[in-house]
Amino acid sequence: MKKNDLKSMGKSFTKYILIIGALLILLDFTFHRHEYFSFAEIYGFPAFFGFISFVFIVLLGKWLRKFLMRKEDYYDQ
Amino acid sequence: MISNIIPGLIMILTSFLLPTIPQYFRHPAMLLSVGLSALSLFNGYGTFLEWDVLGLNLILYQSDSLTFPFSIIFHIAAVLVIIFSWHSKNLMEHMATLAYAGSAIGALHAGDFFSLFIWWEATALTSVFIVFAGNTKAARDAAMRYLIIQVSSGVLLLIGACLLLYQTGNHNLTVLDLTTDFGIFIFIAFGIKAAFPFLNGWLQDSYPESSVTGTVALSAFTTKLAIYALARTFPGTDSLIWIGAIMTAFPVFFAVIENDLRRVLSFSLNNQLGFMVVGIGIGTELSLNGTVAHAFVHIIYKALLFMSMGAVLYRAGTTKASELGGLYKYMPFTTIFCIIGAMSISAFPLFSGFVAKSLIMSSLGGMGMVLIYFVLFFASAGVLEHSGIKIPYFAFFAHERKSKVKEAPINMLIAMGIAAVLCIGIGVFPKYLYQILPYTVEYQPYTIDHVISQLQLLVFAIIAFLFLVKFKLYPSEIRSTVLNSDWFYRKMLPGIGKPLFKKIGLLTELIYENLRFFFRLILNKSQKFSNSSYIKVTTPSFAATILISILFIMLLIVLI
Repeated sequence: MKKNDLKSMGKSFTKYILIIGALLILLDFTFHRHEYFSFAEIYGFPAFFGFISFVFIVLLGKWLRKFLMRKEDYYDQ
Repeated sequence: MISNIIPGLIMILTSFLLPTIPQYFRHPAMLLSVGLSALSLFNGYGTFLEWDVLGLNLILYQSDSLTFPFSIIFHIAAVLVIIFSWHSKNLMEHMATLAYAGSAIGALHAGDFFSLFIWWEATALTSVFIVFAGNTKAARDAAMRYLIIQVSSGVLLLIGACLLLYQTGNHNLTVLDLTTDFGIFIFIAFGIKAAFPFLNGWLQDSYPESSVTGTVALSAFTTKLAIYALARTFPGTDSLIWIGAIMTAFPVFFAVIENDLRRVLSFSLNNQLGFMVVGIGIGTELSLNGTVAHAFVHIIYKALLFMSMGAVLYRAGTTKASELGGLYKYMPFTTIFCIIGAMSISAFPLFSGFVAKSLIMSSLGGMGMVLIYFVLFFASAGVLEHSGIKIPYFAFFAHERKSKVKEAPINMLIAMGIAAVLCIGIGVFPKYLYQILPYTVEYQPYTIDHVISQLQLLVFAIIAFLFLVKFKLYPSEIRSTVLNSDWFYRKMLPGIGKPLFKKIGLLTELIYENLRFFFRLILNKSQKFSNSSYIKVTTPSFAATILISILFIMLLIVLI
């Protein structure tokens, strides 16, 4: 097996995901997306919400390490 | 005749017979017992077995539209676990697993709180052996903590049941509310097993310590039994909406930084229970259907994810993200099954999570609960993060692996394959799932609005992941312990208790020391007194002096 398998896989995965993402946003302009709450009907709202939520979760989780992370043998001490 | 036998009981009886059955026939016998128990699914609805004991009428076997879907999925889960553990020769674990599954199925069919209590404790006592079977020091310690918590839940349930009987004269399973004391006891008892916030520590503590196969069994029954019990007793209880919403949101942050992937899945389990609890809290027919549907599909995809991590543990010897990566080359089938589980739990359209979660989201949207709706929407991005991406990414991809490992054994692949087929099957043909739900509700999950909205959320969350990895913002995996609510009884209480008891110990020692000094003084004095020359003539011995002084003290006490 080649060594850069994972890298090339990652690259093509990124490419396809970006294409799908772009298509989804374009699709949003072709029809009126009905939602339960009117502000969620703004173009690309779920996309924006998903992106921001994900970044928020990861960065806040990372920050919480300061308070919640201990050594692996913490409970054995 | 067979229609009067409590479902699950035959599995418990078979588990006791397992030691007498040759190793080769054990798994077929276990499957057969599950099959026989599953015949009860054809009995229809009604009360089939009651028992008058000590003036109480216990309803041991009843079934209705709420027990039915849970009973089906518990039987399916038992089958999956048995196939997944086909290679294993651990007799204790097989016995415990079969009895545990049987107890959980029995519990579903209890019609009163006392019968439920018996099964409730039976699930605790059987499942603790599964944790024990992890067979490490960590597993044995976790098992003891697990047992204490689980039994406490049962004790609270019993107190609630007794109070209910005493105050109302009724002990049948009915809808309760939180204005009564028995309601509160029973609510907390259920809340412990449903892993409410701050009562959840036992889950992430014990499940990841169990064996390769044990965790799969554990993940299916206890918590979903609690969901069933809550759905039966507390539908429409408003506080459950908030409790559930907190449960969906807070574990996602813990899951981001946890290193052990089976513990990540345990946090994820907690988050999934949150969705179900919200559904119970709303309490409409649509939302309760959503809760049941979610429990049904969740058992399958969660088992699938735990099975895939079990296979990784079995072959690679660890599930620590910091030690894994690159397994896709060596375990391609496990990788595919894991990704199917990950896509199901993340609720991609055409996968089972989508058709179940939609019911709960729609009932929230329909009721105009905007805040809770978006907490759950946010938590959906969290599910994608920890179960959808983190699990498959760190186990199978992340970086190249240096040492080779083998693909999972064939029995594991078969069990994972069945679960994967069910995940996709339910996602593509949701009407079969909807048919067995408690209420008849017309619902169409595949509307263009809904599909596009969900896909946008998921795809852009994945793009966010790629963005964070690209700019090296995604936290690297570190070998560590993440504090959770079990910290309170594992560190804080001993932290306060140990020095406190030490001080009390010192104090009692001081008191004893002084008493000893005082008695020695009395002894010396009386000895000197008895030895003195003028008393020797009339008093025979030292013993008599002591006796006389004791009598004197007693007399003094009496007089006072």
